[in-house]
Parts: sequence; C-alpha cells; structure tokens
Amino acid sequence: MWCLAPEWPEHGRHVAVEFVHPVIMGKRALPSVAIDGVDAVARLRASVRPGDIVLAVASASEQRVFEVMQRAPAWGATSIWIGTGPRPPARSPDHLLWSSDASELGRHDGSMVFAYHVLWELVHVCFEHPGLLDDADACDVDGACITCSDEARLAEVASIVAPSLATVRTARGVEEIDTTLVDPVDAGDLLLIHGGVAITHVEAVS
Amino acid sequence: MTSGERTDFLYPFIERDERDVDALLVDLARSAAAKHAESSALRSTTLSNQAGAVALVADAMARRFRAGGRLFTFGNGGSATDAASIAALFATPPHGRPVPARNLAEDPAILTALGNDVGFDLVFSRQLIAHAGRDDIALGISTSGGSRNVLTAMHEARGRGMLTVGLAGYGGGELARSPDVDHCLVVEAESVHRIQETQDALACAVWEEVQRRLEVVGG
Repeated sequence: MWCLAPEWPEHGRHVAVEFVHPVIMGKRALPSVAIDGVDAVARLRASVRPGDIVLAVASASEQRVFEVMQRAPAWGATSIWIGTGPRPPARSPDHLLWSSDASELGRHDGSMVFAYHVLWELVHVCFEHPGLLDDADACDVDGACITCSDEARLAEVASIVAPSLATVRTARGVEEIDTTLVDPVDAGDLLLIHGGVAITHVEAVS
Repeated sequence: MTSGERTDFLYPFIERDERDVDALLVDLARSAAAKHAESSALRSTTLSNQAGAVALVADAMARRFRAGGRLFTFGNGGSATDAASIAALFATPPHGRPVPARNLAEDPAILTALGNDVGFDLVFSRQLIAHAGRDDIALGISTSGGSRNVLTAMHEARGRGMLTVGLAGYGGGELARSPDVDHCLVVEAESVHRIQETQDALACAVWEEVQRRLEVVGG
C-alpha cells in the first residue's frame, strides 16, 4: 500500500507505520510505504504494481492526489482517499472516507487520525475471516465479469512503439494497442481501450 | 504494547469456509460506529477533566513564546508523526499567530547519524544540545510514558532550563512521574489508537489556549 499525503506528509507516514509496525503485538506487518515529494506521481507510476493499494490523506484541492486517483485503475491499483472539508467530485477514488463537517483543525485534533486508525483495526478484523478473503469469487479477467469484459478499460501510455502503435499500462499489465483512432498520443496520456484499440482520450486532471 | 480490545466474541463463526460477506460488513460498520463513539467520548471527557492542566501548560508555554522561545516536539512511530502535526499547528496555524516550532524526527540524515553513532536513546537529546536553550519548550510524546529517548530528552531539556511538557497514555508511566517533566497530560485509556487520538485533541486544546494568551498581550 502506497500512502500519499502531499499537504500533510505526517499523515502519510502515520498510516504507513501503522500498517508496517502494528501497535498491537502479534498483528501482521503489512507492506505500506509513505510517498512524499513533488514527484510523487512519477514515483508511484514507477513503483505501483497491479493489486496494490494507493491511499491518499489529502484535501479535495490536492491536484497530485486527483492525478493519482485517476490513474490508479490503469496501474491496477485500488484507490482510497481520506480527507475532510469540501468533498472531491464523485467517482474520484474507489473508496472515499470523508468527513464533511470537520473543522479546519480536523487534521490536528485526532479526528483524521481516527479515520485511518479504524481502517487499520477493521483490516485486521477481516484477517480473522480468511474464508471471505479467498479470491475464488473475485473478478476473473477471462470470465464474464461485468466490470472487465466487453467494456472499455483505462490505459496509460507507456511508450510509442511505431506510428499508431503504443504500449500501455492497464490493470492487466503492459499491452500493445493500436492508436489510429486517437493519434497523436504521448507517454503518460490516458486512453480508453477496447479490443486492442484505443477508442478515445481521457482528459487528465491538471 | 497491548493485546488491544477483543473482537473474537463479536465474530463467533470464524472459519475457512465462511462466505457471508454481508454479515461481516454489517459487523464492521457497527464496530466502526462504536469506535467512533468511544473515541469521541474519550476525547471530550479527557478535555474536560484536563482543562485545568491544559490552562497551566498554555500559561507556561505562552510565557516562553513571548520571551522568544521555540517549541521542539518529539516522539516515536505514530507519536513522531503526531509530533510533526503539533509542530505544524504551532508554526503554520490555520489562524492566529505562528510561533517557531519543529519536530525532531523530521530528518533521516540526523536520525540515522545519531542512531548509528551514539544510539537511538539519544536521537532527541543530542538535537536539543545543539539547538535549544532556556526560553525553549520540549514537548515529548509517549503513549506508554516509557520511551527511553523521550525520557532522556526530557532530562536534557530540564538541564538546559527548558519548559518540559509530556503527553502520555495508560497511567502516564515514567513520563508522568519524572522530576524532569514540568507538566504531563495523561490520557487514561488502554488502546494506543484511542490514546493517540486524544493526545492530538489535548495538544490542539493547548494550542488554542496558547493562541488566546498570545492575543491578549497583543503579541
């Protein structure tokens, strides 16, 4: 899990240490890393693997978090956004843990810390139910899962291979696609792809 | 460290072939709501029980700030990040007067140099030796009240004439009993998480009281 809190790096670090080194002895150490810095998006792009989680603790006005949340599906990552104040637009992350009525002191007075403390506590409750964590019923990309098949998928352009041919990152990994319909494309562009063909550009938040 | 609250009694049907995810989700939602109620109650009870102590701490801190003093915060793990949050609140507040404040666990070069060369027990105290003087304030956080490097830094701070303020949990531990600590605000609870949340609330209350005192004097 990658923890991003551009405005308040202490919160990203607090989440990371919580999961890596639990305060309750005997609980599993889970891989969790705080990501700081102006180049957070580039560092996440380089590091995130399919199946990872990106978790942000940030206000709704944090541009880098929007960008990460938008790209997470192309990286194959689940996205979580924890924050207070005005809400980000609907559908930004997979999961939004938001406190709309918190005061401007919400990030100092323990209420934001409470949100990720409870998240950690409930994650460990879930580990007590191994039957429910089994992947058997989960989405199978080769099956008929409605979220994956017969629908366009988000892709991020990795490189241009030849005219109208690009490699892209998607939740399934790296794929080669035809970009004839949407040319020109550049590395970093977001596309919707279907059947090996890019069908439209997705406007990046910026 | 603690064994934490028991949750197994809530979930008596733990087994590998469990499939009813909806029942678990209902339990998790109920559990989250109960924890929220518990955290809120602990914060408001502690703030009201400790209102007098918070006022005393704020008086002493405001005097140091008026004399040009600076705040140094420190702790380990989640308390290190809470120390960062407290330093940020004082130095870059959402309103009111900013005062100089810094978290001593911010810089990996300093922490690893000191940890490697002189030992982790001294990572905070050595920084106070380099930076701090008699008008300054040391604010150390330890949920157990027993963190060795926090206690050592408090001893160094006291020796340098600094104001020493502790934030602790459980019964307050050694931090609450230490003769090096001028004021120790203790959260009477057994869960590290609930203690940390309430310590943050206490620090926030101290900040508000300090601001009120700095305003009265007009800076």
